[in-house]
Amino acid sequence: MRIMCCLKPVPKPGSVKVDPETHTLKREESELVLNPYDRYALEAAVELAEKTNGKVVAVSMAPPNAKDILLEAFAFGADELVLLSDRAFAGADTLATSYTLACAAKKLGPFDLIVCGKVSVDGETAQVGPELAAWLGLPSVTWVKDIKPLNDSLELIRTREFGEEKIKAKPPLVITIEHEANVPRPPSIKRLLKQDEVEVKILSAGDIGAKEEYLGLNGSPTQVIDTFAPEYHGKREIISGPPEEVSERLLSILKERGLI
Amino acid sequence: MENYQGVAIFGEWTGREIHESTYELLSEGRRLADELKTHLIVLLPGPPEAKEAASELISYGADKVIATLDERLNDFRDDIYARIVAEKIEKYRPEIMLFPATSLGQALAPRVAGLLKLGLTAHCIAFEIRQEDRTLIQVRPSFGEQVMARIISRTRPQMATVRPGVFPHAKKIEGYQGEIEIFRPSEEAFKSSLEVIEKRPKPKTDVDITKAQVIVAGGLGLGSKEHFQKLFDLAELLDGAVGATRPVCHLGWISEDHMIGVSGVSVRPKLYLGFGISGSLHHTVGLQGVETLVAINIDEKAPLMKQADIAVQGDAREILPLLIKKLKKLKSQREND
Repeated sequence: MRIMCCLKPVPKPGSVKVDPETHTLKREESELVLNPYDRYALEAAVELAEKTNGKVVAVSMAPPNAKDILLEAFAFGADELVLLSDRAFAGADTLATSYTLACAAKKLGPFDLIVCGKVSVDGETAQVGPELAAWLGLPSVTWVKDIKPLNDSLELIRTREFGEEKIKAKPPLVITIEHEANVPRPPSIKRLLKQDEVEVKILSAGDIGAKEEYLGLNGSPTQVIDTFAPEYHGKREIISGPPEEVSERLLSILKERGLI
Repeated sequence: MENYQGVAIFGEWTGREIHESTYELLSEGRRLADELKTHLIVLLPGPPEAKEAASELISYGADKVIATLDERLNDFRDDIYARIVAEKIEKYRPEIMLFPATSLGQALAPRVAGLLKLGLTAHCIAFEIRQEDRTLIQVRPSFGEQVMARIISRTRPQMATVRPGVFPHAKKIEGYQGEIEIFRPSEEAFKSSLEVIEKRPKPKTDVDITKAQVIVAGGLGLGSKEHFQKLFDLAELLDGAVGATRPVCHLGWISEDHMIGVSGVSVRPKLYLGFGISGSLHHTVGLQGVETLVAINIDEKAPLMKQADIAVQGDAREILPLLIKKLKKLKSQREND
């Protein structure tokens, strides 16, 4: 199977920088780490490629400082590394992001499977996977926690509120991966030593044949108009002191209020 | 944009009934439709037995239910459902389209957005109407900051997914009049390479934290899985359930079923005790329905301490076992009285 795995660099907690005018993330100024859910997506892709004698192409739409994240992906088992980087991509919402990834999928494909993490921990929308599938006209299955390759199809286990579903899916398709899907392997020493030799292919909007009007801030139908801090009521009770005392005090307040 | 009229919501059929979140969309959808002086419609795809639900939805304030009833809609298949919803949107042209942020809604709404090239805002917790241009202002937590963002969409319909548990359940309106219209999608819409071959319910022993009256929740401030485990003892003493923040779920201290917040659930207990939780917005958006909020944290400046009704300053790792000990004593005293 030829598999594309989408990887999103997210700002390291505490290093988030936001553009005060557009309210979008300034990713080029933030310290980036791999979105934790994408680590499971990558492992799922690598495991499946191993079982099916396939290849994993790791693709990331990000500023140039995200190159290291792709090199990490190589150490975790990705075969080819592609960074989609262009000023025109900046400020993209999920629709513009998924369009860009779809253009890359067409350029680099065909793929039997496209794997994304369930959700990213910065935007927390969980929208890019299904949107990407729609751009490509492929079926999608979200929140997948187990993948079994069969002869000409995949058996997927999907989490739902009520439990889970077993789904038989014929490739090509797009799936998004749950964190329970696997236990990601540690980086391979052999691959770590080869990191200097591997190429991170950098592609621009022109390279992937993307149309300007669908890209970045201009191609994003949603816009943040302002932000505000949520207000809290003022009448709180504050308890401080030694642990014994505060515990006692808390319980007596809860008792007075009829809560315990 | 004038060609787009009315507020539409997605009606989710669970296989037995209409999902709870649909009633929450009905109440907020009705409010928005009234404010815009327009109609409220429900898009309902489902198997033939979902038919009974259509008239039920009218009695909760829907002016029109656009139903597609077909055996092939018995299971949720992302591609089929999305094509049907997209065809309905193209025909009925609502100005606003809301989906529940359930597992189904979160899979469906972005597919529809991708098919129709529309903006979509995820996990909204509030809406406002800007009357002069009939714009829907969508409110959700912003990226990693302690702020909420107001978001608008340039495309129509203005689409959003809505956090379950945020809006009230719609009230039944005796004698409310509405119509049911059957929509027949194209045959093309039913093509899929997906097949649902089995559905397995969760084991019954799992606690549903969205219904718990008392929640004891823990965050990274508890320091270790061992300390976190003690929450279960406290929950048992208080007849409550255990909640968690995302980081502790990711560390494997507890399963994601217990996660409260943007990617987790919203809770509305009478009493919530947060141990070692700093209170990022991504967690606290799930706490809007809490009646009495108690925060226990070593850092008095933590956001959850500011939001709390009762802010207890101290090390959660020390206070948690003390509370358990004292409650046990209290309980045995009560039993002896």
